Order: sequence, then structure tokens, then C-alpha cells
Amino acid sequence: MAYQVSIFLENKIGRLERVTSVLKENRINIQNMSLIHTANGWGILNLLVSCPERACTKLCEAGMSASLRKIVALEMQDVPGGLDGLLTKIASAGVNFTNAYGRVVEPGQKAFFFIDADQIEDINEKLQAVGLTPLNDDLIYGV
Amino acid sequence: MIYWEKELEVLSRKELEKIQVERLRKTLSQAARSPYYGELFRKLHITPEKIDRVEQIRELPFTTKQDLRDHYPYGFLTLPKRDIIRLHSSSGTTGNPTVIFHNRHDICSWANLMARSLFCAGVRDTDVFQNIVGYGLFTGGLGFQYGIERLGALSIPAGAGNSQRQIKLMRDYGTTVIHAIPSYLGRLYEVFQAEGLDPQRDTELRLLVIGAEPHTEEQRRRIEEMFGVKAFNSFGLSEMNGPGVAFECEYQSGLHIWEDAYVVEIVDPKTLQPVADGEYGELVMTTLDREGMPLVRYRTRDITRILPGDCPCGRTHRRIDRITGRSDDMFIIKGCNVYPMQIEGVLLKIPEVGADYLITLDTLNGSDEMIVEVEVKRDWFNGDVARLDKLTRQITNQIRDEVLTKPIVRLVEPGSIPKSEGKAVRVRDLRAALKAGNYPA
Repeated sequence: MAYQVSIFLENKIGRLERVTSVLKENRINIQNMSLIHTANGWGILNLLVSCPERACTKLCEAGMSASLRKIVALEMQDVPGGLDGLLTKIASAGVNFTNAYGRVVEPGQKAFFFIDADQIEDINEKLQAVGLTPLNDDLIYGV
Repeated sequence: MIYWEKELEVLSRKELEKIQVERLRKTLSQAARSPYYGELFRKLHITPEKIDRVEQIRELPFTTKQDLRDHYPYGFLTLPKRDIIRLHSSSGTTGNPTVIFHNRHDICSWANLMARSLFCAGVRDTDVFQNIVGYGLFTGGLGFQYGIERLGALSIPAGAGNSQRQIKLMRDYGTTVIHAIPSYLGRLYEVFQAEGLDPQRDTELRLLVIGAEPHTEEQRRRIEEMFGVKAFNSFGLSEMNGPGVAFECEYQSGLHIWEDAYVVEIVDPKTLQPVADGEYGELVMTTLDREGMPLVRYRTRDITRILPGDCPCGRTHRRIDRITGRSDDMFIIKGCNVYPMQIEGVLLKIPEVGADYLITLDTLNGSDEMIVEVEVKRDWFNGDVARLDKLTRQITNQIRDEVLTKPIVRLVEPGSIPKSEGKAVRVRDLRAALKAGNYPA
């Protein structure tokens, strides 16, 4: 199972920078990210990094509320309609997700689609049942 | 005629003090019938008959809110329950509430003081009086109700909230006087505007009564401009009955405190020694006309001062200034008395948040709000937005149930609440009303 790091952030100047400075000090590379904003003055930053456990520990040590969340990644074609085709299959698998992001791996050829799977039971089995194969961890964390 | 009871309101100080001495003796004898004062007076050898000057009150012990709590519920009661006809109580789910009992005489006396207060501000029996505050255990509802009825005006016991209905009542029945907390009147005015109405053109309002919440002279003037009528300050506290303790007259310069019903002292909250007229200190009050539950030298914790000099209205009862602060950590928001301990009590029962919190009182869009910041615990956080939203709602509801006013709850990162010398700062007051406060904290 692969993980991303989720961090609770107040919507204030310099709060994102606190996160990136910890990652910089620990020479941790960010591969992907998404930022969720709420109307209540706070948000959540999701980071895909090569070493999520270490990143999470370092962020907590720096005083932040960080935690690991399971993710599932799927490969898709980097062409018009590529995501549409993938989402049709995910929907037919009965998987509902609230947070996701994508990443181009080979322009015009291949992309990865990442789903926050923390609260979704048996997601691998459900996806496999409709012919989708979640990527293994090495591919997710990249080179 | 501008006086409700001329024979009492314009007495010479000498005559007034004579009444005070008589009533103080009577009060002390009555108080001695309660378990609490009975034991205390015996222990301290206090004999009411020896009192022949009001200043001798300084030899008597103080009574504090903690004393009331420690002897809850009946320790201060002087009469059998058969003779008691009403109680009023604070919410106080943290620790014992403060409860005050009244017999028939007390309720009549309170209604009369309330009527005297309203008459003093210019209310007459020809008025239609809409009381826009909560009824029930809160004294502002029934306290005003009985006073309005005693005075003989037409009362509309509207209760708090539902501005559209308030406006309909005002227009349908030709309301001429309303009583509300100052922060609510700003909101009511906005609803008037939203409905395309102007209170100055579309109502028969002729005066306002405001109280139960700290506010500045500027805020009062703004309210008066909105509604186009004068707004009179009311002061009271449930331990001293409730409203009707002190009230402004037509000159709006300080509140006449009814000295035939209370002995008024202003003391330095640290040394507990009296301060000179004009100097700020803690208001200490003794009831002079209460039978069911007299209180002796009750420390109100309210900071004010005696305004020196005579009032042009002719009343000889001295005037106190508006309340500028508290000598304890209680604060008042939207008419509700709140102790930080109550908020802390709620938060300690919620394992998802840390022990640190910060209460900020601020004026947002003209309305006073209580903002409660709590830290999201690191080991509870799992990145789920819905879970954090649910937590926010849970904390909001539980605090509202405890202090009876809805807070704005903000989740913050751990460690972001400022600490001072190991002990957290609990309350910041940024409200417009207190910026003008002139009492050195």
C-alpha cells in the first residue's frame, strides 16, 4: 500500500512555506500535491513524496499535525478522453472518492491518476473487478 | 411629574442614610436566620442593634459568588420554602449555579424598583413596551415584565430573537419603547433596512432601554442615530434581583443607584479598602429590602465608580458610571455571563482537541462575537476534512449548550495558541466597547 502525507494548515501567510522548508531541510522531493481549502479558516495539504513515513515524522517533529493516508494510483493514457475513460470504469466499480490528482509521466503517452483511498474499503478488489490494476508502490513513488 | 416615588427619590442624604441604617439593621437580623449568615454572625459576634451609622457596614464580612456556590442551594435562605414564590438562577453547569430566592415582598419590591427605574428614564403608563430579551431563569425577562406591569404600560413579552416577528409586533401594536441588549439593536436595524423599512418613519418608537452587555458611549450614540430616539442605560445583576438596580434619568449622565434598596460601596479589589468618589473600583452591594435571601457586602466583581456631584434631575441617589470591566475573569457576550472555566470544561471532555484554547471577543460586522480557537491534536488528525467539520460543529454545539450563546469555533494548528509564562492566555477582548474602557487593568 502506498501513502501520501496530509497536513492540517491554517489559512495564514507562511503556513505552506513552513511545510516546504521542513522538506527542503530533509532533502525530501515533492512529486505531487493537492490543497483543499475550507470556509472555516483552515485547509489540508496532501503531498506525494518518495518517503512518506520520514516526511510525516519530520513534519510532526516540527510541530505540525501531519498524518499518512492510503492512496491508490492508476495508469491512464495522456490523450483527450483519457481521464473520462478511466473515470467511467472507476464509477462502474462503485468507488466514490473525495480527493485525487493526476500527473503526466510521458507527455502524450502516459499519466498516473492518484486517489485518496483512506476511507474506501476494498478499493483494490473493486478496481480489479472492473479490469483496473492499481500500480505497485515502486511505480507510485517514482524514481 | 418626573418621579415615581418623590418622597423617596429626592430625600436629603441625611434622611436617606437614616432609612439605610434602619433597613440595614432589619436586613442583618433577617440574614441571621439563614444557615450561612447565622453561623457567620455568631462566630464574628455581629449584633445588628449596634449599627447606627452606614459606615459601620465596613466592619461586616464580604460575601462572594463562591460563598453562594458553596452553600447551594438553600444555605442563604432565611424563610421556609412555603414563603418563597420564585427563584432565578445562573446556568452554571460548571460548578453550582448561583440561585436567588424571592418571597412575595421581594418580588413586589423588585417590581417597584423596576417601575421607578423605567419612570426615571421617561416611560409612562401610556407607552407600549416591547421586551426583547429572554424570559425564564434570566432576570431580564420577568424583571422588566413585572416592572412594566407595575408602571401600567402595555407590555409585549416578545422574548429574544426572530427580528422579523419583532418588527411586525412593533408595527402592529404601535410599540413606543423597546428593551434589548445593545448588540441586538444593530442587527434589528439591519433587518429593518432589509425589509425596506425605517424605524424612524415606520414605527412609533420614542425611547430605548439598553443593558446587560458592556458598550461604549459611541455605541449608544450610534444606536440612538439609527432609531432616532434616546437610549437609556440599565444596570442590574441577578444577585441584586436583576434589572432595576441602577438606571439613567433624562440627563443620561451616569446611572442612579437606588440607595434606599442597596448600600453601595466601591472598594479597591486588591486591598478591599474603600476608594474615594470618582475613583474606579469594585462595586460592593448590600440588599436593604429583601427578605427571602438578603446579601451582605456582595462583591459584584463589576468595576465602576461613583460619579461625584449632584444630578440636575433632583434625585439624591448617587450615580455610578457604566461598567468598565471585571475584577475576575468573567465576561459578558450577547447578554450571557461566561467564565473561561465553562469553555475549558467543555473542551476537556472532547479528546480530539488539546488543552490549550484562546477565546477572542471581537466586534465583527457590528455584532459582538465569541471566537474560540482550539488546537487539533496531532495524534487524532488523519487528514479527513469531513471529520474536522464534524468536530467543529460538535464543539460549537456543546459550548452553546453550556454558555447559552453560539461561539465561532476555529480549529488551529498545534502550538499556534500563544502561551505566556507557562500559563496560557485565555481571553482576549478586542471589542469596540472595551477599547474605550478607562480602568487600568
